[in-house]
Amino acid sequence: MPNVDHFLLLAPEILLAAAGLLLLLAGAIGRGVSNRESAFVAMFGLVCTGGLLFWVNYVTPERLLILGDSFVLDGFSFFWKLLALVATALTVLLSIGFLEEGRYRGSEFYALLLFATCGMLFMASGYTLLTIWISLETMALASYILAGYFKREVRSNEAALKYFILGALSSGVLLYGISLLYGAAGTVQLAELSQRLAEADAQGSMLVPLGWLLLAAGLFFKVSAVPFHIWTPDVYVGAPTPVTAWLAVASKGASFAILLRIFYEGLISLRVEWQTVVAVVAVATMVWGNLAALTQDNVKRMLAYSSIAHAGYVLLGVLAISEVGLWSVLFYMLAYTFITMGAFGTVILLERREYAGETCADYAGLSRRSPFLAAMMLLFLIALTGIPPTGGFVGKFYLFAAALQGGWTWVAVIGVLTSALSLYYYFRIVVFMYLKDSDASTPIPVRSPALVGAIAFCALATLILGIMPGPFIEFAKSSLLPLP
Amino acid sequence: MFDWVHNVPILSIVCYIPLAGALIVMFAMKSSQTATIRKFATGVAVLDFFVSLPLWFAFDRDGALFQFMESVPWIETIGVRYEFGIDGIALLLILLTTLLGVLAFLSSWSAVHDREKEYYIFLLLLQTGMIGVFCALDFFLFYVFWEVMLVPMYFLIGIWGGKRKLYAAIKFFLYTLAGSVLMLLGILALYFYNAGGLLGWQGLGNPESFSVTQFHAIAASIPADLQFWIFLAFFVGFAIKVPMFPFHTWLPDAHVEAPTAGSVILAGVLLKMGTYGFLRFSLPILPQATVELMPWVAALSLVGIIYGALVAMAQKDMKKLVAYSSVSHMGFVMLGMFALNGPGLNGSVLQMINHGISTGALFLLVGIVYERRHTRLIADYGGISAVMPLYATIFLIITMSSIGLPVLNGFIGEFTILIGAFNRNWWWALIAALGIVLGAAYMLWMYQRVFFGPITHDENRSLKDLNGREILYLAPLVILCFWIGLYPKPFLAVLEKPVNFLVERVDPTYAAEAVAASPAVPSTAVPAAAAVGE
Repeated sequence: MPNVDHFLLLAPEILLAAAGLLLLLAGAIGRGVSNRESAFVAMFGLVCTGGLLFWVNYVTPERLLILGDSFVLDGFSFFWKLLALVATALTVLLSIGFLEEGRYRGSEFYALLLFATCGMLFMASGYTLLTIWISLETMALASYILAGYFKREVRSNEAALKYFILGALSSGVLLYGISLLYGAAGTVQLAELSQRLAEADAQGSMLVPLGWLLLAAGLFFKVSAVPFHIWTPDVYVGAPTPVTAWLAVASKGASFAILLRIFYEGLISLRVEWQTVVAVVAVATMVWGNLAALTQDNVKRMLAYSSIAHAGYVLLGVLAISEVGLWSVLFYMLAYTFITMGAFGTVILLERREYAGETCADYAGLSRRSPFLAAMMLLFLIALTGIPPTGGFVGKFYLFAAALQGGWTWVAVIGVLTSALSLYYYFRIVVFMYLKDSDASTPIPVRSPALVGAIAFCALATLILGIMPGPFIEFAKSSLLPLP
Repeated sequence: MFDWVHNVPILSIVCYIPLAGALIVMFAMKSSQTATIRKFATGVAVLDFFVSLPLWFAFDRDGALFQFMESVPWIETIGVRYEFGIDGIALLLILLTTLLGVLAFLSSWSAVHDREKEYYIFLLLLQTGMIGVFCALDFFLFYVFWEVMLVPMYFLIGIWGGKRKLYAAIKFFLYTLAGSVLMLLGILALYFYNAGGLLGWQGLGNPESFSVTQFHAIAASIPADLQFWIFLAFFVGFAIKVPMFPFHTWLPDAHVEAPTAGSVILAGVLLKMGTYGFLRFSLPILPQATVELMPWVAALSLVGIIYGALVAMAQKDMKKLVAYSSVSHMGFVMLGMFALNGPGLNGSVLQMINHGISTGALFLLVGIVYERRHTRLIADYGGISAVMPLYATIFLIITMSSIGLPVLNGFIGEFTILIGAFNRNWWWALIAALGIVLGAAYMLWMYQRVFFGPITHDENRSLKDLNGREILYLAPLVILCFWIGLYPKPFLAVLEKPVNFLVERVDPTYAAEAVAASPAVPSTAVPAAAAVGE
């Protein structure tokens, strides 16, 4: 029987949903609240949720299954929840000036963001395939709308529509996979699933391979791994840039959380089969993501392909099924959050009028016009390439280490080589920023203090993760899933 | 007198003085204060040189292999330590770096007028990166410096370079990065083998560590097939940096396009990082693979010597000629090293220093006439010894040093390398000697075309001879040429210990005994003291 105390442990999720509802209501009454007020409410909600999260983590030192074993509280879920909150908080900071400039209403925007984040919190803790699926949909539906939030922009509409159609398809595939697995195993609870699937597989049930393959395909879609990545570039380019950043970081992070949870807990008995598939997908993702990024002239599009490539690197850690593999994924996503948020933040700062400032050429002479911005962007690009002393280096270093240790040498070799290749397209922007001059020599006005603060914070975090990664690695190591 | 050196973290101080200088320039100076920035940055370089000098006096020639050790935990949870320490090889290279640093700064005063603030920041950061590479005794830390250093070099070529600077800069960066990421996998393989094992190999079960001395200690117990793969991974990284023959194509582009100071540092120090990598890591950690692959590496070195010399002979551009001569000279360094005996290794390290001095000087000299005439083509000069007698004299000395004339430094290095090569295989020495002849041919031919004969271009009649600043930064190099040429003993003295350490490791006769002595099953950990074999 569900215990009342157990609902108390859901306090962070409940608070976040309540904050979202409050924003929605406040926006509907009278002339509504201003953008800044809504942003403040959203930030406040996120901070309080974070506080409650620490409290919940404090009172449940051990792994705890509640609500009929459908909801798990462990270090792993705590890590991803915290990451989702940080990423969303940064997104809020990135959005304030952007929404004002576009003259779009803030309250609904932030409400949707909070609902989606609420979905992510549930994803991190979901312990049955159905809980996971429903929370995933909570997040996805909100993100479809967010992608199309700039309703007067054709590209934003296009992005939302594409995202919705392909996303709905992938959710269908995912659900179909779940139903087949349920047919084979008679349960959706992850711990039981693993055991029963092994038995069913031994009996030669066709439902098992078909089921997990479809499930995996759905998950690969969500983390935008090749060949399920087609939606990514268009959606990333069309969506309002703060939403793009949020999709690339928070949404991808939560998707990796459920991917790890399902593969490591629900499908662990089938690991020999899925490891091969993950290896092939990882290689395809790294190779194609990096190759396609080489020719992009649009910075957002380039970052979209680069985010595909980064999903490939993360899959190296997933592949390894080892302690190193797990914590390197967690650490990498942590570093990637700050790096990517910072990079997109810089793009936002440069975007004058909703969609200008997107091609590489718009970055020409940036080092003269705004040395601070150029230096920040340089740092983020160096981190994305994986050059020390940045968090990106330490993260990548250990992802490759995990693959090597796990015996996937050829995958690691392809990984490091494609990673070296990525230098070329990241530094194309550097070439424009530092090595070319522009016609315009006017300094770039720095508009939003919140945005600049967020970028500086991300830069600082990127450096700290590279120079003093110890405590963060410890944190990641304390947030592992049980390993076979 | 120099005892205090042992009580302060001297290596860290030497390493981070330029970084501190860069930060001061970055945050405390305005771009418009060019004169102040120029003087301040040069002052920092001079300071760093004088701070690094006590290392030479305080270094105990008979003491431990690695001295001035600094070791504190850095990322404890994965066994990374902040570990600095130098042996005689690193000592010489650090002094070369700080010295060439000063000269590079001085030579930039008149060469760079654009975006000076950024220029000096990048040059200072580069110094920190290079010194860090030579100091680091933790493989992770080494790799961090190795890569960090690429970024300022990229900008030096990319912003202040010649016509094809963008191409040259990214080519330099991509080549080096591609090599170093493979090296990274080699480092990781060692790391896992030392701890829990990887792939089919059962590990030694030691605590996780990237410590170079730890890897030196376990060298004998690394199975031959694993050594082979790790050697290949390291080889790609280091050979690109040296650069050895098939990996050299980035070098002419980078050299020709880089500003003078960039070329000096590139030739003087950066290339040495590759050979230093072989000496510090490949040879002592992977002795069996080294011996096994010796003929192949030597063959590539010989091809590099001859090929570099022949291509240099065909060049019309002085800077390009010097760049290709580097390929040839670095071939000598590699050949001496892979002779795997005392004279070969001694000569190899000495030749690293010599090459830094003479090629650095050649780039400075080419830069001087380029600033006056804005051309580097040999055909645009001729007969200028009449108008620039002092310049012609110094150029002649450096040319002689480069082709290995006795009394000058190049002779000592090349001669010892030849002895080493001859002891290993007489026809290596034969081919290498042919390379020396070719070297003399292209250098002297260039000298003749530039300095002798009638003055064919009227612009050259009004060329000014060296000014005080130029003499100031050329003089130390000329002095060193004679010093090493006439009295190389102090330099060989600091090399004795590290070279003996290497010879014990890799000389095949010695290595054969080591293999026989080590247990057949590599899973048993070999006690550190036995494996070091000191």
